[in-house]
Amino acid sequence: MAAQLTSDGRVLYLYGITQSSPSNIPSSLIGVDRFTPIEAVDCEGVFCWISRVSALDFEKNLASNMENLDWLAETSVAHQRVISAISQITDILPTRFGTVFRTEQSLCKHVAKRVRGLKKDFERIQGADEWGVKVFAIQPASIPMPPARTGKDYLKAKAALLPSRKPKAIPREDLLEFEQALAGVATETAPAGNVSRGQRGLSFQTSLLVRRTKRKKLESILEKFARDWTRERRIECTGPWPPYSFVSRPDDKVRSK
Amino acid sequence: MSATANAVVFTGDDPSDEMTLLDILDHVLNQGVVLRGNVIISLAGVDLVYLGLDVILTSVETALRHVNATTSLPARG
Repeated sequence: MAAQLTSDGRVLYLYGITQSSPSNIPSSLIGVDRFTPIEAVDCEGVFCWISRVSALDFEKNLASNMENLDWLAETSVAHQRVISAISQITDILPTRFGTVFRTEQSLCKHVAKRVRGLKKDFERIQGADEWGVKVFAIQPASIPMPPARTGKDYLKAKAALLPSRKPKAIPREDLLEFEQALAGVATETAPAGNVSRGQRGLSFQTSLLVRRTKRKKLESILEKFARDWTRERRIECTGPWPPYSFVSRPDDKVRSK
Repeated sequence: MSATANAVVFTGDDPSDEMTLLDILDHVLNQGVVLRGNVIISLAGVDLVYLGLDVILTSVETALRHVNATTSLPARG
Protein backbone atom coordinates (compact mmCIF):
# COMPACT_ATOMS: atom_id res chain seq x y z
CA MET A 1 0.00 0.00 0.00
CA ALA A 2 3.04 2.19 0.31
CA ALA A 3 2.72 3.82 -3.09
CA GLN A 4 -1.03 4.33 -2.97
CA LEU A 5 -2.25 7.90 -3.07
CA THR A 6 -3.36 8.85 0.39
CA SER A 7 -7.09 8.87 -0.05
CA ASP A 8 -8.07 10.47 3.24
CA GLY A 9 -6.72 13.90 2.38
CA ARG A 10 -3.34 13.28 3.97
CA VAL A 11 0.07 14.24 2.67
CA LEU A 12 3.51 13.27 3.90
CA TYR A 13 5.30 16.06 5.73
CA LEU A 14 9.04 15.43 5.56
CA TYR A 15 11.24 16.50 8.51
CA GLY A 16 14.60 15.19 7.46
CA ILE A 17 16.70 12.30 6.31
CA THR A 18 19.01 10.06 8.33
CA GLN A 19 21.38 7.27 7.41
CA SER A 20 20.25 4.96 10.17
CA SER A 21 16.90 4.25 11.71
CA PRO A 22 17.28 4.53 15.46
CA SER A 23 14.93 2.32 17.39
CA ASN A 24 14.69 4.61 20.39
CA ILE A 25 12.81 7.56 18.90
CA PRO A 26 10.21 8.33 21.57
CA SER A 27 6.80 7.05 20.51
CA SER A 28 5.30 10.13 22.16
CA LEU A 29 6.94 12.34 19.55
CA ILE A 30 4.24 13.89 17.38
CA GLY A 31 4.28 15.75 14.11
CA VAL A 32 3.79 19.36 13.05
CA ASP A 33 0.02 19.01 13.30
CA ARG A 34 0.39 17.97 16.98
CA PHE A 35 -1.62 14.77 16.33
CA THR A 36 0.03 12.30 14.00
CA PRO A 37 2.98 10.10 14.95
CA ILE A 38 6.40 10.25 13.35
CA GLU A 39 7.39 7.45 10.99
CA ALA A 40 10.59 6.49 9.19
CA VAL A 41 10.27 5.50 5.53
CA ASP A 42 13.17 3.55 4.02
CA CYS A 43 14.07 5.06 0.62
CA GLU A 44 17.11 3.79 -1.23
CA GLY A 45 18.90 2.95 2.02
CA VAL A 46 18.28 6.28 3.75
CA PHE A 47 15.45 6.99 6.17
CA CYS A 48 12.94 9.75 5.58
CA TRP A 49 11.20 11.00 8.73
CA ILE A 50 7.60 11.92 8.01
CA SER A 51 4.18 12.33 9.51
CA ARG A 52 0.87 12.13 7.69
CA VAL A 53 -0.73 15.54 7.91
CA SER A 54 -3.83 17.22 6.55
CA ALA A 55 -3.55 17.99 2.82
CA LEU A 56 -5.76 21.02 3.38
CA ASP A 57 -3.43 22.61 5.93
CA PHE A 58 -0.09 21.55 4.49
CA GLU A 59 -0.65 21.41 0.76
CA LYS A 60 -3.58 23.53 -0.36
CA ASN A 61 -3.29 26.27 2.24
CA LEU A 62 0.40 26.09 3.13
CA ALA A 63 1.33 29.43 1.57
CA SER A 64 -1.49 31.31 3.28
CA ASN A 65 -0.93 29.45 6.55
CA MET A 66 2.68 30.59 6.52
CA GLU A 67 1.50 34.16 6.60
CA ASN A 68 -0.64 33.39 9.64
CA LEU A 69 1.82 34.12 12.42
CA ASP A 70 0.08 32.02 15.05
CA TRP A 71 0.06 29.00 12.75
CA LEU A 72 3.65 29.60 11.64
CA ALA A 73 4.86 29.95 15.21
CA GLU A 74 3.19 26.77 16.44
CA THR A 75 4.11 24.75 13.39
CA SER A 76 7.73 25.83 13.23
CA VAL A 77 8.19 25.08 16.92
CA ALA A 78 6.71 21.59 16.34
CA HIS A 79 8.95 21.15 13.26
CA GLN A 80 12.01 22.09 15.33
CA ARG A 81 10.95 19.79 18.18
CA VAL A 82 10.74 16.74 15.90
CA ILE A 83 14.04 17.35 14.12
CA SER A 84 15.79 18.20 17.35
CA ALA A 85 14.56 14.97 19.00
CA ILE A 86 15.87 12.89 16.10
CA SER A 87 19.15 14.82 15.94
CA GLN A 88 19.88 13.96 19.54
CA ILE A 89 20.00 10.30 18.54
CA THR A 90 21.48 10.35 15.06
CA ASP A 91 22.78 12.86 12.50
CA ILE A 92 19.91 14.26 10.46
CA LEU A 93 19.75 16.38 7.34
CA PRO A 94 16.76 18.60 8.11
CA THR A 95 14.42 19.29 5.22
CA ARG A 96 13.23 22.75 4.37
CA PHE A 97 10.18 23.79 6.38
CA GLY A 98 6.96 22.95 4.56
CA THR A 99 8.19 20.14 2.31
CA VAL A 100 5.33 17.75 1.62
CA PHE A 101 4.79 14.82 -0.71
CA ARG A 102 1.56 13.21 -1.81
CA THR A 103 2.80 9.64 -1.76
CA GLU A 104 5.66 7.53 -0.46
CA GLN A 105 6.40 6.72 -4.07
CA SER A 106 6.94 10.36 -5.04
CA LEU A 107 8.99 10.94 -1.88
CA CYS A 108 11.27 8.01 -2.64
CA LYS A 109 11.56 9.02 -6.29
CA HIS A 110 12.88 12.45 -5.30
CA VAL A 111 15.18 11.09 -2.63
CA ALA A 112 16.58 8.52 -5.07
CA LYS A 113 17.59 11.31 -7.44
CA ARG A 114 19.53 13.00 -4.66
CA VAL A 115 20.86 10.01 -2.77
CA ARG A 116 24.47 10.38 -3.95
CA GLY A 117 24.54 14.07 -3.02
CA LEU A 118 22.89 13.30 0.30
CA LYS A 119 25.72 10.95 1.22
CA LYS A 120 28.16 13.85 0.78
CA ASP A 121 25.92 16.08 2.86
CA PHE A 122 25.92 13.49 5.64
CA GLU A 123 29.71 13.58 5.68
CA ARG A 124 29.67 17.37 5.99
CA ILE A 125 27.36 17.44 8.99
CA GLN A 126 28.58 14.28 10.70
CA GLY A 127 29.05 14.81 14.43
CA ALA A 128 28.39 18.54 14.12
CA ASP A 129 25.74 20.95 15.35
CA GLU A 130 24.61 24.35 14.20
CA TRP A 131 25.10 27.29 16.57
CA GLY A 132 23.66 30.76 16.25
CA VAL A 133 25.80 33.70 17.37
CA LYS A 134 24.48 37.24 17.75
CA VAL A 135 26.25 40.39 18.85
CA PHE A 136 24.21 43.26 20.29
CA ALA A 137 25.35 46.82 20.91
CA ILE A 138 25.04 47.75 24.57
CA GLN A 139 23.08 50.93 25.23
CA PRO A 140 24.88 53.71 27.03
CA ALA A 141 23.81 54.07 30.66
CA SER A 142 20.13 54.85 30.72
CA ILE A 143 19.21 58.48 30.92
CA PRO A 144 16.13 59.51 32.85
CA MET A 145 12.99 60.09 30.83
CA PRO A 146 12.34 63.79 30.34
CA PRO A 147 8.95 64.91 31.63
CA ALA A 148 6.29 64.46 28.96
CA ARG A 149 3.25 66.68 28.65
CA THR A 150 1.34 64.54 26.19
CA GLY A 151 1.06 60.88 25.34
CA LYS A 152 2.80 61.57 22.05
CA ASP A 153 5.75 63.22 23.82
CA TYR A 154 5.96 60.27 26.18
CA LEU A 155 6.07 57.74 23.35
CA LYS A 156 8.68 59.75 21.46
CA ALA A 157 10.89 59.98 24.54
CA LYS A 158 10.41 56.28 25.25
CA ALA A 159 11.30 55.34 21.65
CA ALA A 160 14.47 57.42 21.88
CA LEU A 161 15.61 55.28 24.79
CA LEU A 162 15.21 51.98 22.93
CA PRO A 163 18.26 50.41 21.28
CA SER A 164 18.54 51.41 17.64
CA ARG A 165 17.44 49.10 14.85
CA LYS A 166 20.59 50.19 13.05
CA PRO A 167 23.25 50.14 15.76
CA LYS A 168 26.74 51.46 15.19
CA ALA A 169 28.68 48.94 13.12
CA ILE A 170 31.34 46.86 14.83
CA PRO A 171 34.73 48.34 13.83
CA ARG A 172 36.19 46.44 10.91
CA GLU A 173 39.22 45.11 12.76
CA ASP A 174 37.14 43.89 15.73
CA LEU A 175 34.70 42.16 13.41
CA LEU A 176 37.47 40.58 11.38
CA GLU A 177 39.17 39.26 14.50
CA PHE A 178 35.86 37.83 15.75
CA GLU A 179 35.00 36.23 12.42
CA GLN A 180 38.46 34.71 12.11
CA ALA A 181 38.26 33.26 15.61
CA LEU A 182 34.86 31.72 14.81
CA ALA A 183 36.08 30.41 11.45
CA GLY A 184 38.88 28.70 13.32
CA VAL A 185 36.45 26.59 15.31
CA ALA A 186 33.63 26.14 12.76
CA THR A 187 33.82 23.84 9.79
CA GLU A 188 31.48 26.18 7.92
CA THR A 189 29.65 29.44 8.48
CA ALA A 190 26.38 30.61 6.94
CA PRO A 191 24.47 33.87 6.87
CA ALA A 192 21.73 33.91 9.48
CA GLY A 193 18.78 35.88 10.60
CA ASN A 194 16.14 36.10 7.89
CA VAL A 195 13.63 36.70 10.60
CA SER A 196 15.48 38.46 13.39
CA ARG A 197 17.55 40.95 11.44
CA GLY A 198 15.27 43.73 12.69
CA GLN A 199 16.02 42.98 16.34
CA ARG A 200 16.98 46.13 18.20
CA GLY A 201 20.66 46.62 18.86
CA LEU A 202 21.70 43.66 16.69
CA SER A 203 25.08 44.44 15.12
CA PHE A 204 26.16 41.05 13.77
CA GLN A 205 24.91 37.50 13.48
CA THR A 206 26.02 34.26 11.93
CA SER A 207 25.36 30.52 11.96
CA LEU A 208 28.22 28.13 12.58
CA LEU A 209 28.62 24.44 11.93
CA VAL A 210 30.75 23.13 14.78
CA ARG A 211 31.94 19.59 15.47
CA ARG A 212 30.78 18.43 18.88
CA THR A 213 34.41 17.92 19.91
CA LYS A 214 35.00 21.66 19.42
CA ARG A 215 32.07 22.92 21.43
CA LYS A 216 34.16 23.91 24.47
CA LYS A 217 36.50 25.83 22.20
CA LEU A 218 33.57 27.75 20.74
CA GLU A 219 32.36 28.60 24.22
CA SER A 220 35.77 29.83 25.33
CA ILE A 221 36.15 32.01 22.21
CA LEU A 222 32.75 33.60 22.81
CA GLU A 223 33.56 34.16 26.47
CA LYS A 224 36.88 35.79 25.60
CA PHE A 225 35.21 38.25 23.22
CA ALA A 226 32.38 38.89 25.68
CA ARG A 227 34.99 39.87 28.27
CA ASP A 228 36.90 42.06 25.80
CA TRP A 229 33.69 43.77 24.71
CA THR A 230 32.04 44.06 28.12
CA ARG A 231 31.13 47.72 27.85
CA GLU A 232 30.29 47.90 24.16
CA ARG A 233 28.69 44.65 23.08
CA ARG A 234 26.82 41.62 24.36
CA ILE A 235 27.05 38.16 22.79
CA GLU A 236 24.23 35.65 22.65
CA CYS A 237 24.69 32.08 21.53
CA THR A 238 21.91 29.59 20.79
CA GLY A 239 22.28 25.91 20.11
CA PRO A 240 22.87 23.14 19.52
CA TRP A 241 20.54 23.26 16.51
CA PRO A 242 20.14 20.58 13.86
CA PRO A 243 22.26 21.74 10.88
CA TYR A 244 19.42 23.64 9.17
CA SER A 245 21.68 26.17 7.50
CA PHE A 246 24.30 23.73 6.23
CA VAL A 247 22.48 21.22 4.09
CA SER A 248 21.80 23.27 0.99
CA ARG A 249 24.39 23.47 -1.71
CA PRO A 250 24.67 26.20 -4.34
CA ASP A 251 22.83 24.14 -6.97
CA ASP A 252 19.88 23.78 -4.57
CA LYS A 253 19.49 27.52 -4.37
CA VAL A 254 19.23 27.88 -8.11
CA ARG A 255 16.72 25.08 -8.45
CA SER A 256 14.57 26.22 -5.55
CA LYS A 257 13.73 29.61 -7.09
CA MET B 1 26.78 46.93 35.61
CA SER B 2 25.40 43.56 36.49
CA ALA B 3 27.60 40.67 37.56
CA THR B 4 26.85 38.84 34.32
CA ALA B 5 27.69 41.76 32.07
CA ASN B 6 30.60 39.94 30.47
CA ALA B 7 28.93 36.54 30.31
CA VAL B 8 27.77 35.08 27.04
CA VAL B 9 24.09 34.25 27.14
CA PHE B 10 23.98 30.60 26.13
CA THR B 11 20.52 29.29 25.36
CA GLY B 12 19.61 25.78 24.43
CA ASP B 13 22.50 23.88 25.92
CA ASP B 14 20.31 22.71 28.75
CA PRO B 15 17.20 20.61 28.09
CA SER B 16 15.17 22.97 30.28
CA ASP B 17 16.08 25.97 28.13
CA GLU B 18 13.41 27.36 25.89
CA MET B 19 14.68 28.68 22.61
CA THR B 20 13.03 31.95 21.67
CA LEU B 21 10.49 31.83 18.91
CA LEU B 22 12.59 34.34 17.04
CA ASP B 23 15.60 32.03 17.11
CA ILE B 24 13.52 29.02 16.14
CA LEU B 25 12.14 30.84 13.12
CA ASP B 26 15.59 32.10 12.21
CA HIS B 27 17.00 28.61 12.03
CA VAL B 28 13.97 26.63 10.89
CA LEU B 29 13.19 29.06 8.08
CA ASN B 30 16.77 29.58 7.05
CA GLN B 31 17.36 26.67 4.71
CA GLY B 32 17.12 22.90 4.77
CA VAL B 33 17.36 20.19 2.16
CA VAL B 34 15.40 21.03 -0.95
CA LEU B 35 13.72 18.10 -2.62
CA ARG B 36 11.46 18.75 -5.51
CA GLY B 37 8.25 17.28 -4.16
CA ASN B 38 4.73 17.46 -5.47
CA VAL B 39 4.36 20.60 -3.47
CA ILE B 40 7.16 22.72 -2.20
CA ILE B 41 6.59 26.18 -0.95
CA SER B 42 9.81 28.09 -1.26
CA LEU B 43 10.57 30.61 1.41
CA ALA B 44 10.36 33.60 -0.83
CA GLY B 45 7.53 34.71 1.45
CA VAL B 46 9.78 35.07 4.45
CA ASP B 47 10.27 38.77 3.91
CA LEU B 48 6.53 39.35 4.11
CA VAL B 49 6.30 37.31 7.25
CA TYR B 50 9.30 39.10 8.67
CA LEU B 51 7.63 42.50 8.58
CA GLY B 52 4.81 41.28 10.74
CA LEU B 53 7.05 39.25 12.98
CA ASP B 54 9.24 42.21 13.68
CA VAL B 55 6.37 43.88 15.46
CA ILE B 56 4.80 40.88 17.13
CA LEU B 57 8.01 39.28 18.28
CA THR B 58 9.13 42.34 20.18
CA SER B 59 6.86 41.37 23.03
CA VAL B 60 7.74 37.68 22.76
CA GLU B 61 11.39 38.60 22.76
CA THR B 62 11.06 40.70 25.88
CA ALA B 63 9.23 37.97 27.73
CA LEU B 64 11.70 35.32 26.65
CA ARG B 65 14.70 37.46 27.41
CA HIS B 66 13.48 37.42 30.98
CA VAL B 67 13.24 33.63 30.86
CA ASN B 68 16.70 33.41 29.32
CA ALA B 69 18.16 35.65 31.99
CA THR B 70 17.09 33.19 34.63
CA THR B 71 18.35 30.12 32.77
CA SER B 72 21.53 31.44 31.18
CA LEU B 73 24.81 30.10 32.37
CA PRO B 74 27.47 32.28 33.88
CA ALA B 75 30.71 32.56 31.94
CA ARG B 76 32.92 29.60 32.52
CA GLY B 77 36.48 30.78 32.29
